Amino acid sequence: MSELARLIFIQTWPWWAGGLAIGLMVPGMYLLTNTALGVSTGYGNVLFCVMPSTTLSWLRKTFKDRWGWRIFFLGGMLAGSFISARLAGLPLATLSMGALTSSLSTWPAALVLFTGGTLLGLGARIAGGCTSGHSIHGIANLHVSSLITTAAFFAAGVLVTKFLVITLLKGAGA
Amino acid sequence: MKVSNATYAALGMFFGFALSRSGVTEYDMIHGMFTGRNLSVVYIMGFAIVVAIVGMQLLRLAGNRTIHGVEIKVHQKPLRWGNVVGGLIFGTGWALSGACPGTVIGQVGEGKVLALFTVAGLLFGTYLYCLLVEKWPGLSA
Repeated sequence: MSELARLIFIQTWPWWAGGLAIGLMVPGMYLLTNTALGVSTGYGNVLFCVMPSTTLSWLRKTFKDRWGWRIFFLGGMLAGSFISARLAGLPLATLSMGALTSSLSTWPAALVLFTGGTLLGLGARIAGGCTSGHSIHGIANLHVSSLITTAAFFAAGVLVTKFLVITLLKGAGA
Repeated sequence: MKVSNATYAALGMFFGFALSRSGVTEYDMIHGMFTGRNLSVVYIMGFAIVVAIVGMQLLRLAGNRTIHGVEIKVHQKPLRWGNVVGGLIFGTGWALSGACPGTVIGQVGEGKVLALFTVAGLLFGTYLYCLLVEKWPGLSA
């Protein structure tokens, strides 16, 4: 395999290459589809897809189509990361989750992840977007609400890590 | 002009590939960002924002149209209390799970099985929001 192919497909990209590819998503989405980059609303589309006759008003108002574009976008992300990991030779399935699983056993780690996921889902909806929609897309389009939201993301992330996550991970030298 | 689902799937593939290749799907990268020991994610996000700003300006200079010739419209999200409240809740989840709604899909695709619990949480959290917003419509954007 050529050196270039090895750099692209096997080694972790340098920060500028990751930033370049992720950043291109914003104008790329507008150029090809006229939509704003965003992921978290897709989870609502998944809910609507599995319960199309729901009476929950937010789902009914936000999604007209069970198989909306967000389902395909999320599916594509799944496929893209699958391909990336196979090319890099990562294990097909692993219970490892970095410092979290080197400190906690599987079920407590799963509980932390489920709790974290719940807060991500709830918080993203109340804030009106997540890291991609607010922090990348919103800030790049100079939206004040996105700047404030991102500041709140980082403020809570740093404080919760300092006062809770580090305590959770203590004992394994994390 | 109806955009094909294949286009969205292809864009998603590129995005998922990029997230995975840049390493932001690693729990330790996110944790390291919040402890301050490894700021790679900050550089990646910062440069992504710069690239996106330049890209959007180039699109405007080129006539602000999609490849189908439709005028590009960027909708601004209004500033409200939800940005702060939701942002703090989200940031807590980010620190706990070591993932955001995008990177967790990358984790699942890579084969990090426990990320399925984060995804389950995300669906549950979104469902909780749906229930809350029935009671307090003011919560909605």
